[in-house]
Amino acid sequence: MMPSTNPLAVSSLRYLGRHPWLLILSMLGVALGVAVVVSIDIANGSAARAFELSTEAVAGKATHEIRGTSAGIPDSLYANLRTTHGIGEITPVVEGYGRLSLNSDITLRIVGIDPLSDAAFRAYTGSGDANFDLAEFLLNSGAILSEELAGSIGIAIGDSFNVVVDGVAYELTFVGRMIPDDDRGSTAVNDLLVVDISTAQRLLRKPGRLSRIEAILPSDSSPEADALRQLLPAGVELVRTESRSRILEQMTRAFRLNLTALSLLALIVGMFLTYNTISFSVVQRRELIGRLRAIGATREDIFGVVVGEALLIGIAGTAVGLVMGVFLGRGLVRLVSQTINDLYFVVNVRGVSVPEISLLKGVVLGVGATVVSALLPARFAAVTQPAVVMRRSISEARWREAAGPMALAGVVLVMVSLLVLAIPNGGIGGSYAAIGLGILGYSLCVPIMIVLMSRPLRSVLERVAGVVGGMAAGGMVSTLSRTSVATAALSIAVAATIGVAIMVTSFRSTVVSWLDSILQADIYVQVPGQVQRDLQTTIDEDVVSLIRSTPGVANSYGVKRLDVETAFGLSNLTAVESGEGIENRCRLKSGDPRTISSSFQDFGSVLISEPYSYRHNLNIGDTFWILTDAGRTDVTVAGIYFDYGSDQGVILMERVNYERLFADHSWSGVALYADKGVDLQRLIDRALARVGSRQELILRSNRDLRQYSLDVFDRTFTITQVLRLLAVFVAFVGILSALMSLQLERAREFSVLRAVGMTSLQQAGLINLQTALMGLYAGLFSLPLGTALAAALVFVINKRAFGWTLQFELNGAVLVQALTLAMLAALVAGLYPAFKLARRSYASVLRDE
Amino acid sequence: MILAAVVFLLSREAGNRPADLSGTNLREAVGQDLRAEEARWGSHYQTADRPREFRFPDDHGPHDAFKLEWWYFTGNLASADGRHFGYQLTFFRNALAPAPTAIDSTGDEPWQTRQLYLAHFAVTDVPNRRLTAFERTARGAAGLAGASADPFTLWVDDWRVESTGRESFPVRLRASANDVEIDVTLDPQRPIVLQGEDGLSRKGDGPNQASYYYSITRLQTSGTIRTKGIDVPVNGLSWLDREWSTSLLGRTQVGWDWFSLQLNDGTDIMYFRLRESEADTPEYASGVILNADGSRRDLKRDEIVVGATGTWTTSDGVSYPSGWTVATTDGRTELRVEPYVEDQELNLSIRYWEGAVRVNGVHNGATIEGNGYVELTGYADEAARGRVSP
Repeated sequence: MMPSTNPLAVSSLRYLGRHPWLLILSMLGVALGVAVVVSIDIANGSAARAFELSTEAVAGKATHEIRGTSAGIPDSLYANLRTTHGIGEITPVVEGYGRLSLNSDITLRIVGIDPLSDAAFRAYTGSGDANFDLAEFLLNSGAILSEELAGSIGIAIGDSFNVVVDGVAYELTFVGRMIPDDDRGSTAVNDLLVVDISTAQRLLRKPGRLSRIEAILPSDSSPEADALRQLLPAGVELVRTESRSRILEQMTRAFRLNLTALSLLALIVGMFLTYNTISFSVVQRRELIGRLRAIGATREDIFGVVVGEALLIGIAGTAVGLVMGVFLGRGLVRLVSQTINDLYFVVNVRGVSVPEISLLKGVVLGVGATVVSALLPARFAAVTQPAVVMRRSISEARWREAAGPMALAGVVLVMVSLLVLAIPNGGIGGSYAAIGLGILGYSLCVPIMIVLMSRPLRSVLERVAGVVGGMAAGGMVSTLSRTSVATAALSIAVAATIGVAIMVTSFRSTVVSWLDSILQADIYVQVPGQVQRDLQTTIDEDVVSLIRSTPGVANSYGVKRLDVETAFGLSNLTAVESGEGIENRCRLKSGDPRTISSSFQDFGSVLISEPYSYRHNLNIGDTFWILTDAGRTDVTVAGIYFDYGSDQGVILMERVNYERLFADHSWSGVALYADKGVDLQRLIDRALARVGSRQELILRSNRDLRQYSLDVFDRTFTITQVLRLLAVFVAFVGILSALMSLQLERAREFSVLRAVGMTSLQQAGLINLQTALMGLYAGLFSLPLGTALAAALVFVINKRAFGWTLQFELNGAVLVQALTLAMLAALVAGLYPAFKLARRSYASVLRDE
Repeated sequence: MILAAVVFLLSREAGNRPADLSGTNLREAVGQDLRAEEARWGSHYQTADRPREFRFPDDHGPHDAFKLEWWYFTGNLASADGRHFGYQLTFFRNALAPAPTAIDSTGDEPWQTRQLYLAHFAVTDVPNRRLTAFERTARGAAGLAGASADPFTLWVDDWRVESTGRESFPVRLRASANDVEIDVTLDPQRPIVLQGEDGLSRKGDGPNQASYYYSITRLQTSGTIRTKGIDVPVNGLSWLDREWSTSLLGRTQVGWDWFSLQLNDGTDIMYFRLRESEADTPEYASGVILNADGSRRDLKRDEIVVGATGTWTTSDGVSYPSGWTVATTDGRTELRVEPYVEDQELNLSIRYWEGAVRVNGVHNGATIEGNGYVELTGYADEAARGRVSP
């Protein structure tokens, strides 16, 4: 880098200082890009960290755990292991979820322990004053909670408080404060409610069952581990305590990758902006650069100064972006964790951690992207001969000549991209890379498209707006190096918003038609779950029979959802009473609809949802094992059905077969068909009255459940919509800065025009027409790109990330919206240069030159 | 024996930081806790305040209405080639709350219980001069720990005492931890002895300061002891002490020295004294000599003199008496008691010394030998107090 006394460096600073708006906008472009990337990283990271921490807070020192089916393992096994076989280093855990009240949005993790055997595994309470009263803990439903949680409820030691589990309220006594080992653990324990095993079994309705038995073993292959395995009955297994944060990592990988990809798109738009600004600044000072070159400045000097300038913008923009990113991240954390709760598992993200790595990523991407985007203009400034630099028209001529070959290269890139996307079952990362390649290819075609479009447009505009019109259209081509880059950047930004919007609307309409086809019953009964994805909620058997026998109910069927261990890890199993036919309960994707009903009832046969089939590469006739109370049991895929409720996939089993394999008679939900002419609301009231205070239940009519499901759907896509809006905002800023710089650059040209008789009104008209034209171009070019992007998201990314088949739905409103956005931004962008140039005396501008 | 009182504290600590237990103010905790506990649950424990009629086998089982209870097995065993072992297997029961406020273990909530069990298992390997001790705790529910009279069974985890036949005795004792294991059968050689006044054993002046206390002082013992993975067949004698109570110690009582001696001529001697922190308060002490012919002689405080002949100090400065003379004032019994191994301290959640001792001297005019067990409690607490108050 050159010393600051270097005339070019000084000019660089002076130049940037003279155009504060330009500087601010291009910095804003970088800042927004960085902010979006950093905030998504923070939100993703915080959600992952929250789960990791809460897992750590519970996990303790256990190396292994003994697990059974999700109904749990009989607690007699634990006693047997200890008293008959003398296994010492084990401790029982009963775990589930609850809330402080029905309306509380804080989900508590209820962990039942045996304090006498648990001490070796976890240290929940510190020494000294923090000791808890064991008698109260064991005999009076004692609970240990964090200081913070106790404070938020407003209770002191000895006070009682309520916890709601599966819609039933229980009174607990606050007996001890949880003292985390260190600061890191303090937020992790804030959702933890530690109670005795007996209390947990009562609250979670798991009499005689344990969620797991934890063990401390020297290693997985140790004689101790082998001996322990020998003692376990069928349906119970000893597994390594897999960090559950790793399961989170796996489950949400696709979801988070998609968010990251969308956030990177914002950065790419930012890069184009920087490129545009730097190129603009180089061209503006072409004469100065030429003179400096003529008096002996080396190419390296010139290159260094231009890159340095970019660095300046990059650093400043990144710094602002990091601050914005942290704030934005705090907001996004809620959305991300909400989505994770809706789609994957229960996680309470209380604290937002700002990991250095996220900031570092922001710095590297922000500064790096800015510098990279400056390389081309810097090289351009450095390599061109002094005399040539001074003559702008030559470079523009070159651009026009290059437009054809560039387009050719672009087409090749697009082809390659399409080929990669067409590879069946390719990876998501590769698909995104291919999409990026396609976007690059498309933007290479932008110059030729401008040239091609401008010719017919010019004659049209000449007829409509006279000389000014012709000049506006001609200007697009004559300053192709500027207009093409700016237009490409805008097209990409706008296309991104189109792509995401069409993907979401396609997804939504697919879900709507799916809901319409599967929601056939009139009333759906559920337990108010802590969150959407809490699979542990159950309705009491006797409550279910009460509801089903409510007068006015013509027919009904029950479902039970649970997590089971399978050949592919923990999977969601749904046991359903198929009644008159399973085809009424789900929409088949593959399988013979005429025979599916009877084959579904065969023992050992299951249906799997589309994502499950995709994830684990399963087809009709394939067999895999699931862990039942009878041990590992092979099941065979009889059919594949559409399901958009879970991207992890679902295994569907006939209830009768389920009860043969699992010692479980509970229900997660019941669907009711009403007698003809029965008022649904009255029926709901009647059923609720029959249940009384036995259990808090939610009864929704068909229509309400449909609406509720769509609400959840919309909620899970809120984060995507927010990202889309951010992209729109970046695009808007991009259009502003690109067009503004373009017009400002042409100050001299305009002055000449003014000198030869153009009125200031005409000048303003020319400027606004030209920016509007660029907005139109960008808007038009974004339509095919946005649609293609949407298609890639719908057919490739969603398929590969989640295994869903979505119906593509082109949405006219989205396209119109995109065009409007581009034009509006362009018009706003034209106002400032028009205003500024109108005020300046053309004579002074010419003199300056 | 005083050990059991400390269980109060253990229950308060929930076993999290067992090491912190030593050094706390034992006496106050016991007295205050009991009152607060009874007030909290609105009912009372039964107390050992008058003589009662003992019934067997019922009284071998638990007395849940009392706060504390223990089954204390100690013994001296030897292999055929003369290797000497001492062992201790003790089960404590501690009630968290007086009945009937809390729900005891029912079919509905099999894990809920008022009763906690604590067990200690120690083996002194005399040739290797080494004591190994272990501890187990479990609730008296869900099959994890418990006691029953008929059939006589007692267990915490897999440490277990149970009748070998239809009668309560003989019993089989089994316990193992790490590479130490014991599996022996105990057959009583003399009838049950009721200690104190027909089984009411006074520990102080307070109305409830007593326990119900019986012993089986001589049980022929045979089986195996496993140390370092090698089974050693052993034979010898064991002693069973049974006590249950609700309040034991007075405010100024700091600890307990207890002796159980088995002489070769068939004589068994039990003696305990409760040490006082205040010099002018007379100590409570009591003993009994059980002669081979079945006759017994109860010893009052001034009829027996026990003096320490040496001390042994732990690496962290806790001093225990080590070696004693035990003499009756009538001059008929004069014994020297020496620990087989000096370091027989159990540093578990409760810290105390409990060890096998060798006995020799003169009894009824004849030179005799024998073995026994001595328990010394409260010394670690005294040392801790000594450190904090100059």
